[in-house]
Amino acid sequence: MMRFGERLTLLPAALLVLAMFAVPVAFVFAEAIFTPGFSLAHFDRFFSRPVYLSVYLNTLVVSAVVASICLVIGYPMALFIVSQPPARRPLLLFLVLVPLWMSILVRTYAWMVVLGREGIINGALQWAGLTDGPLTLMFTTGAVFVAMVQILLPIMVITCYSIMTEIDPTLVRAARICGASGLAAFRKVFLPLSMEGAITGWSVIFILSMGFFIVPALVGGRRDVLLGNMIVNQVGQANWGFAGALAIILLVSTIVLLGLVRLVMGRFVYSPREAQA
Amino acid sequence: MRSPTRILAGLLFALAVLFLFFPILIVAPMSFSGDRFLGFPPRSWGLTWYQTYFSDPGWLAATWRSLRIASLASLIATLVGTASVVGLARLSGRWRAGVTGMLLAPAIVPNVIIALGVFMLALRFGTTDSEVTLILAHSAIGLPFVVMIVGAAYRQTDPMLEKAARVFGAGPLRAFWTATVPPLAPGILAAFIFAFFVSFDELVIALFLMGGSETLPVRIWNDLRFEINPTIAAISTFFVVVTVLAMTLAEVLRIRATRRQGSN
Repeated sequence: MMRFGERLTLLPAALLVLAMFAVPVAFVFAEAIFTPGFSLAHFDRFFSRPVYLSVYLNTLVVSAVVASICLVIGYPMALFIVSQPPARRPLLLFLVLVPLWMSILVRTYAWMVVLGREGIINGALQWAGLTDGPLTLMFTTGAVFVAMVQILLPIMVITCYSIMTEIDPTLVRAARICGASGLAAFRKVFLPLSMEGAITGWSVIFILSMGFFIVPALVGGRRDVLLGNMIVNQVGQANWGFAGALAIILLVSTIVLLGLVRLVMGRFVYSPREAQA
Repeated sequence: MRSPTRILAGLLFALAVLFLFFPILIVAPMSFSGDRFLGFPPRSWGLTWYQTYFSDPGWLAATWRSLRIASLASLIATLVGTASVVGLARLSGRWRAGVTGMLLAPAIVPNVIIALGVFMLALRFGTTDSEVTLILAHSAIGLPFVVMIVGAAYRQTDPMLEKAARVFGAGPLRAFWTATVPPLAPGILAAFIFAFFVSFDELVIALFLMGGSETLPVRIWNDLRFEINPTIAAISTFFVVVTVLAMTLAEVLRIRATRRQGSN
């Protein structure tokens, strides 16, 4: 009786997620497949035109590259924080967190200001006499990468850090005592134990990048369109069905790719359960 | 041998942090420019762009609309989310994992997809251009953060407290309110602040749903597509300061809420 009453507290949350998430997403699927009768015409259109396919591939490549750059910069940053005395860590972590709290729109705007023709980078280059005229930094693929990495990097640092703090530091010390060099101890002990954080961080950033549209729309060029931008454009032109098909392609490819990443990278994760078996 | 590598590591870390702060460090001083166009460094200084923002009815209306929507959406997300944390704790293993996954799902699926679905359903029911629809949609995407933050705080509380209150004759609601809620309060407040900014920053759902009445992000978005308006530098700086202060408070509260029991 009591227990049933307490479980009822889940009801409002379940209703909210159902009405504002589950049903709408299901509706997107339905809209894409029934046009009005069952048909895969929208998907056929997507996969038969090179324009759409190149946007699709571009989205996958940009997301993978952004996630990888974040990993290459973020993992050592987390490692640096963990290597510091525990009293100093919260401050360093705070420095990484603060930029994460700023609105993505605001941060993208800031990059527009920085990279623009009259922006600070062009101003500095010309002042130093390194360039004669303003360089084209805005509306380039490079600008998209710089802005996306700046926006997503804190997430990688935090994910890696939270796994690294779980690692027992005496394990690395034990490896050193048993004669391993510093590098070997890191590679054989610390790296496999922290791999879980690296993969999770990479996956989270990959997912988030796949849905990006603000950054490419504002600092990218015409060739830097991502799936998210295409969905927004199709909605602008009232092509619901095709927009729905794009949304499904985005969602399904994200899930499939993450499954593959888990499968392939899972080998490199140290799992205590396997070791005991 | 050891210290040069340490210094180098510290330098590289500082460089990466500088990269994270770089854009806002440039925009903040530029918002105090007195020039008509954004250039760095500004030739004259002044509060022109702040004055423009605080005296423009369009910008102010968008700001109030966003504040109103974010307040209500985060209130709903916090109430509904906190209640669900209590219910989740009563579920057993597999059910708990499944329902938790469902409540966290809106944070994983790209907002563009949620926006498209909510918009198409709203079209069907004639509820576009409605703040109510937007508030409910924002509650749903804020909910995962409440479930995560309050859930983590709840796991640190002592269930014996509530049992003790019951033994001493309190009803279930009173026992919950007087024994369980007070230690959760910092976590709940932190969750509220997180959910507030999830809504306050959200662009794409509002963009699809709210044709005529722009929220602040939609207004900024519409402006940025035509020109780099210096007013946005002032707005950005203003809200970055507000956000960082509020989120710092939220982070301190969150850490305190999840550590409380562990430290004794």
